Amino acid sequence: MARYDAVVVGGGLLGCAVAWHLARAGTRVLVVEKDQLNRHASGQNAGSLHFQLEYRMVEHGDDAARLAARALPLHLDAMRAWAGLETDLGRPCGVAQRGGLMLAETPAQVAALDRKAALEREYGLDVEILEGERLRELAPYLADSVRAAALLPGEGKANPRLVTPAFAHAATAHGAEIRTGHRVTALHRDGGRWHLTGADGRLDTADTVVLAAGVWTTELAAMADVRLPAFPVGLTMSATARTAPLLPHLVQHVGRRLSMKQTGEGNILLGGGWPAKLVTRHGRVDLDHNPELRYESLTGNADAARVVPAVMGLPVIRSWTGMTTLTPDQLPLLGPIPRRPGLYAATGGSAFTLGPTYARLLAATLLGGQPDLSLDDYSPARFGALNFV
Amino acid sequence: MNPEPDVVVVGAGPAGLAAAAVLGRHGARVLVVDEQQRPGGQIYRQPPTGFTRPDRHARAGQALLAEAAAAPNVGWLPDSTAWGVFGTRAGLDDYAGPAPGPGRIRVGVHTPAGGRMLEPAALLLTAGAYDLPVPFPGWTLPGVLTAGGVQTFVKAQGLLPGRRVVLAGGHPLLLVVAAQLVEAGATVVEVAFSQHLRTLVPGPRDLLAALGSAGKLAEGAAALATLHRARVPIRFGTAVSSAAGADAVTSVTLSRVDPAGAPVAGGERALACDVLALGYGFVPSTELARQAGCAVRWRPAEGGWVVEHDEWLRTSVPGVSAAGELTGVAGAEQAEVEGRLAAYGILRELGRLDAARARTLARPVRRLLARRRRFAAAVLSRFAPAAALLDALLTDDTVVCRCEEVRAGDISRALCDHPHLGTANAVKLLTRAGMGLCQGRSCAPAVCRLVAQTGRTAQQVGTFTAQAPVKPVPLAVLAADRAV
Repeated sequence: MARYDAVVVGGGLLGCAVAWHLARAGTRVLVVEKDQLNRHASGQNAGSLHFQLEYRMVEHGDDAARLAARALPLHLDAMRAWAGLETDLGRPCGVAQRGGLMLAETPAQVAALDRKAALEREYGLDVEILEGERLRELAPYLADSVRAAALLPGEGKANPRLVTPAFAHAATAHGAEIRTGHRVTALHRDGGRWHLTGADGRLDTADTVVLAAGVWTTELAAMADVRLPAFPVGLTMSATARTAPLLPHLVQHVGRRLSMKQTGEGNILLGGGWPAKLVTRHGRVDLDHNPELRYESLTGNADAARVVPAVMGLPVIRSWTGMTTLTPDQLPLLGPIPRRPGLYAATGGSAFTLGPTYARLLAATLLGGQPDLSLDDYSPARFGALNFV
Repeated sequence: MNPEPDVVVVGAGPAGLAAAAVLGRHGARVLVVDEQQRPGGQIYRQPPTGFTRPDRHARAGQALLAEAAAAPNVGWLPDSTAWGVFGTRAGLDDYAGPAPGPGRIRVGVHTPAGGRMLEPAALLLTAGAYDLPVPFPGWTLPGVLTAGGVQTFVKAQGLLPGRRVVLAGGHPLLLVVAAQLVEAGATVVEVAFSQHLRTLVPGPRDLLAALGSAGKLAEGAAALATLHRARVPIRFGTAVSSAAGADAVTSVTLSRVDPAGAPVAGGERALACDVLALGYGFVPSTELARQAGCAVRWRPAEGGWVVEHDEWLRTSVPGVSAAGELTGVAGAEQAEVEGRLAAYGILRELGRLDAARARTLARPVRRLLARRRRFAAAVLSRFAPAAALLDALLTDDTVVCRCEEVRAGDISRALCDHPHLGTANAVKLLTRAGMGLCQGRSCAPAVCRLVAQTGRTAQQVGTFTAQAPVKPVPLAVLAADRAV
């Protein structure tokens, strides 16, 4: 039996980043990961640093958008955090913040863009609506059908292949332990400490446990008899062959599912929320199988890319699916779990884009300090009605 | 619009041709999707329409090509790529997208006329195999080709890729290709086998098994006679350890190797040439099968990861069968026999043959198959390259993934720097090896070897996940299908 101050369950961006913060503060911390580090959402997403509200947050009307906007303080913090991350970690993470454009092609979409920008400005986001000459000058690659775009200069991309390994490397440099291929199968509290049992029977104990396990967070919480309302969603991404630099910005769409960017190597990455089918076995969702690619998502995503005509001649060289975690209000699930002393959750929301901020704030809470941004809006306590004990 | 085919066959080599002929004769509507202009696959490759210079192999395949061409109900989609299989993971009954017809499989195909979605009741994968890529210093120079690639030049249009050719590797195909080159007018400088002769000479029991494949032996003997007449040196225990040249290969270094396959220091000599043809064996083209979700298993003597199947060559995915090299590399004759067997299995599945009749028809095919398998086990496994040789050839500076220009040293460093990495997919994600146009067809064997050297088994390391489109498809083609 090994004793730790903290065990982080989940070897993704959040888990490794929380471990880095804790290890730097002198905490004895272990990260356990059932697969390989960076194997799931952290390494499978398309690396957007999107700080404007996304299509999925504005497609369900103004009230839903207003609720989702409560995460905007985190967006502002994360925009700064990414800018300094490579320096902090001493490793390349492919961060490039050359601006992001959210496109509108119809009058209704232009109006939606205006409403969205007004809401974002309330929170201090520096969004500007561009049209006509100014838009073409900034983004000559856009199709004629694009009427307007909301520009946020701090948006851009990071490289999901590199970010989590960089956090992991920095964490281990400060003494964190990482154990891959280790699946937690039981979690209970005894004698004032958390006991974690692995699939191989190995036992670890800790004062504090952080559940940063993406779509597996809910089943881990259930091991501690806690219900968390977080839901797996399958997503589709695809990549074209490399091409000469043509797309310096992150491109999204206010009325369709679309994200586009060009990697440092030259590939165009396509994504933006095209669904993939969760695999079911015996009538139940099986999270251990990657979601199934839907033909309609691949072709739909390709069709949405017409807003940048120059990419249409490029060959698509692969597509892949992954899972992300959604909560009912689209806000993060971040903070202490009520009535489970020392048990914390970190998932949901835009957990890649906001990951460095989630990790910093959660670590500050864990270390007994007062985080400089309130986590109240994101606390698991808002779903306290789901748990009777 | 044509009615949907009952069966889509992917690949028009021996397995696909034989299957299409059997299926068509029994009344199933068949559509054969093939990347080439004309059917035949690599082994029975035909010259383009208008060319008239059949070679020995084309003649060998004439009977099968004619059988398939004469079969009713068989349609052809040449110059086309099947790039993705959909709706196979979840039960089709709870598939959330637009459902295919009951019991149908969706296959995305890229044809010269654009994208097309086929919805057959059964899918037969007979995509064959490709040359095992063996990275070593200089292997990416122009003029360094695979034996199969050289054969394509010669067979398709009678072209010679160069004048002075060195052939090296360990597969008997080298002898056949060398003879074809001699007959086409090239100078074959040397044929070098990495194995020592005594490991290649079959024992009495193996010879007995090989008798079942008299055609193969005769082919080898004829090639040897041609090479002997042309005074081509054939050396054993010899491997090409590097290739050099400014813009293209101009010379290669040959090294003596010990019986375990490791190069012996001091035994190097240089040969001038403008083509180096490498034939170390074959890797099954399992990418579409893996993308479809078919289970695979590790069979190093049969080419690596091969598709699992039952006695009717049905894969783990309902409605999807596989035949030929995908089930383990064993040559054209076995592929043809497997194609027939798979066809009987599909006819049985489709209700076009009752179980008893299918069993009866399959019986002689099964007998033939057992004989071919004995031959394959006895002979082909001898030609697999030695691990010691592959490891010695792979220097730190050697490019492993040529699409993304990742060197062996980059991968070794990543493994050292991130000791938690233990799978091919994790290494791909960190290093980009396997992320290029070929989706790792070229680099997967070498990358997997490097990961396994950290003390992991081939099963633990796995291989790269195959992702649709398994071969590149223009974005505009995908987008156009959305508009339909």
